[in-house]
Amino acid sequence: MSAGTLRLERVTKVFQTPEGRDVVAVDDVTLELPPGSFVTLLGPSGCGKTTTLRMIAGFETPTRGRILLDERDIARLTPDKRGMGMVFQSYALFPHLSVFENVAYGVRLRGVRGRDLDQRVEAALALVNLHGLARRRPSELSGGQQQRVALARAMAIEPRVLLFDEPLSNLDAKLRVSLRSEIRRIQQQLGTTSVYVTHDQSEAMALSDIVVVMNAGRVEQAGSPSEVYRRPRSRFVADFIGSADFLDGPVLGVTPEGLDVSLFGVTVRVAAGDGHRVGDAATVVVRPESVRVGDGPIRALVRGSTFLGSLVEYELMVGDQVFGALDPDWMSRGLHVPGEEVPVSLIGSKLYALPPDVRSDTAAHASDTTEVAAD
Amino acid sequence: MDTSALATAGGPGTGLPGDGQEAAARGRRRALDPAVVVALVLSVAFVLIAIVWPVLAVIGAALTDGAIPIFQRYLSPPQNQILVNTVVLGVVVATVGTAIAFLFAFVQVRVPANRWLKRVLHVIALLPIVSPPFALAIAAISLFGRSGMITRDLLGMRVDIYGLPGLTLVMSLSFFPVAYVSLMGLMRALDPALDEAAANLGSSKLRIFRTVTVPLLLPGLASGFLLLFVEALADLGNPLVLGGNFTVLSSRLYIAIIGQYDMLTGSVLAVLLLVPSLIVYFVHRYYAERASVVSVTGKPTGRPSEVSGRPARAMLLGAACLVAGLIVLLYGTIVVGSFTKLLGVDHTLTLRNYEAVLFGYGTKAVTDTTLLAGLATPLAGLLGVVIAFLVIRGRFPGRGALDFGTMLGVAVPGTIFGIGYLLVFNVPVQIAGFTIIPKLTGGAALLGGALAILLVYILRSAPGGLRAGAASLQQIDPSIEEASISLGADQATTFRKVVLPLIRPAFLSGLIYSFARSMTAISAVIFLTTPQIRIMTQQILNETDAARYGNAYAYCVILILIVLAAIGILSVLVGSSTRAERTSGVNVGASR
Repeated sequence: MSAGTLRLERVTKVFQTPEGRDVVAVDDVTLELPPGSFVTLLGPSGCGKTTTLRMIAGFETPTRGRILLDERDIARLTPDKRGMGMVFQSYALFPHLSVFENVAYGVRLRGVRGRDLDQRVEAALALVNLHGLARRRPSELSGGQQQRVALARAMAIEPRVLLFDEPLSNLDAKLRVSLRSEIRRIQQQLGTTSVYVTHDQSEAMALSDIVVVMNAGRVEQAGSPSEVYRRPRSRFVADFIGSADFLDGPVLGVTPEGLDVSLFGVTVRVAAGDGHRVGDAATVVVRPESVRVGDGPIRALVRGSTFLGSLVEYELMVGDQVFGALDPDWMSRGLHVPGEEVPVSLIGSKLYALPPDVRSDTAAHASDTTEVAAD
Repeated sequence: MDTSALATAGGPGTGLPGDGQEAAARGRRRALDPAVVVALVLSVAFVLIAIVWPVLAVIGAALTDGAIPIFQRYLSPPQNQILVNTVVLGVVVATVGTAIAFLFAFVQVRVPANRWLKRVLHVIALLPIVSPPFALAIAAISLFGRSGMITRDLLGMRVDIYGLPGLTLVMSLSFFPVAYVSLMGLMRALDPALDEAAANLGSSKLRIFRTVTVPLLLPGLASGFLLLFVEALADLGNPLVLGGNFTVLSSRLYIAIIGQYDMLTGSVLAVLLLVPSLIVYFVHRYYAERASVVSVTGKPTGRPSEVSGRPARAMLLGAACLVAGLIVLLYGTIVVGSFTKLLGVDHTLTLRNYEAVLFGYGTKAVTDTTLLAGLATPLAGLLGVVIAFLVIRGRFPGRGALDFGTMLGVAVPGTIFGIGYLLVFNVPVQIAGFTIIPKLTGGAALLGGALAILLVYILRSAPGGLRAGAASLQQIDPSIEEASISLGADQATTFRKVVLPLIRPAFLSGLIYSFARSMTAISAVIFLTTPQIRIMTQQILNETDAARYGNAYAYCVILILIVLAAIGILSVLVGSSTRAERTSGVNVGASR
């Protein structure tokens, strides 16, 4: 089984509403998926991630742009000729066929018969740990088992690319976590290039080599999970991945190590992208773990607190700015109650100033999110 | 892995809207599967040639200058009485038929009674579906006619069953089963929690029935009423046998064409019949679709509340048994009559009637009809589900038109297709001197007119397959088909290996419906029979006209037996659903 290289070049999809209005579901998306990579398309519903996946699969045709698999344009190929395995949100198992026949379905279409067929099917079922269930009907399996069959069925055809359309969203939380590590294990074992659509950021983080964050039909950012978390390119990305609050402050100095930004009258050195100039206003991403509660130069009012066991989550207010904070060390310091004033500090090495150009651009498309078709 | 190699979105303003690239993109459509194209072309061709064209031809014939005085004649007194009769008959039959259907459905779902009694009532209620629609009319004449065994011999009355009362009796009994089946489905789907909620709020049983049950079933009742109205309007067999002096549009139209060879008057009457039929039919569809919404939202959580009051129970059961008794009496008359020399006159038992029908001059009618209906059944069934697939899953403009065009096959009264075929196919259709379609009707027609009859059988049955197929396709998650395609199957393979097996129950019922409908059809076919092709329903009519009731009854019994046998054979051929399918078939798509 060899892994394919997939490239999307300036792919756009325009749908027409029944009233004849054009809706841009996917807007000028360019992506390159190296062989063997696991790429997640992440975004809120309506961001165009499912449409993008369905264009790769061939169920939708791009209005513009090219989709290349190993340098060959496949945008006009019907889905059955693309050799991509797909795992569906609703499993989409053939209810009239046994587990064996479901998995054998695609293999048979490739002319494999007899012992070879049996072996291929059994190998696929073994890979997803479904021994001995080959003769069952899909309806006799649990949800998790059904999704394993769907995975085995997609892999059995030895696809160039594996596609996943929110495959875990119908499962309960616990099963979701165990199945997602299994998907990752199998993908790494086989080395198949994979595209995975989800709206669950923790799923995306856990699975991917590359996370592609989409919003309003566009790619907001693509990068490794840590990069996307640590160095978000826009407010949208910072907000969508993990939780984040935003503080604005003037840039006092630009150094190779980062920016000196004044926040609440305190100068903090924060990590930043290029393009900032002294005197500009910078938007700083403040994640709850980048606030230290209990000591520091800033006096904050506790507005609310949520006790989570190992952590306490606080909602703090300074002036009219509200932001969240996590206290992992509450046991030694005690709990704060709403109405109390606490000293806090911002940990500069955990903050990040958004690149200046992207900021205004993002605000522009946030407003046309409503124009995008639901996916 | 090197993620920096990843390019991302182009900036705004690089989308090149409105320039040459845009135009190129518009021409770039999804590559179509060849099998889909073939299916689409064949379906559209069938709908246009076999359905739309004949109907348009009738309308065209009635929109000529010469037609105006005829319109005037039939729209003003005294001739407008025919139109009035038609509407009165439609309303009366629809009212009585819907009431009977409601009674039977209510008894099945809400009245506690012996399980076997309920089953027997159910089977009796379905009997009229598999028999020629005017079989009951003939039996009614024997029982309640001028020399009826019950009215004259038993009660000594001299009543005249011909006309509105008789037609109401037999047509209500003949047509109510369709409304009964759909009402029963709706009643079963009503969420019992609604009744419980109303009771919990302090409503009495009767009040719940009035304020919850009936309003929720109203779309279903309306749809059933309108469907029966259209059936009554379109019916030709019963008015011919039992109409007497009570002339309706369809019977007048028949006389105009067959008796007077007056195509112009026939076309005018056809248009007068067509307009209300079409309007009412599509209003019915509107209500039918609304009614089905109820069944989707209603997820039964308990058992429907049952009628517990003894008097109410006895009354409802008694009424249902009375109607069922009448149906049994009428069908019993048919069976007994088929073994009797002349019912009501000479009660000598005989097998002569069967001899004549099976081994005498009736043989040809039996074989011709069975052969043609047998040919039409798979074709209509397949056409119906293929069109359902195209309409539900296809993504081409004009899907609605294809659906509408196919549904015209039942929305338009059969008599109109009869005339339309005579108008269009009585001469070879030529384009630039080449014969495209040979002469299909009348003398010297291709295959003695068999092809025209076959087409009519198919077009009358395909809508049933379309609706059944569409309903079950809507239950199936489209990703199941996408899964098959992504695994490498083309559309044709996917249809054969995934779609057809999944909609098999609907396909089977479509086939049964199709065969029963073809075997019992008369209103269109009666215009198209030739000396070379004999059709059983028409033979029954001829025998009745000639007062050879014994033969007519024998034909009816044989026809019913053929339909029942076909149901058995089809069930075996297409396969009854297995246990696993029954458990999984229900939740196809429920996993979403």
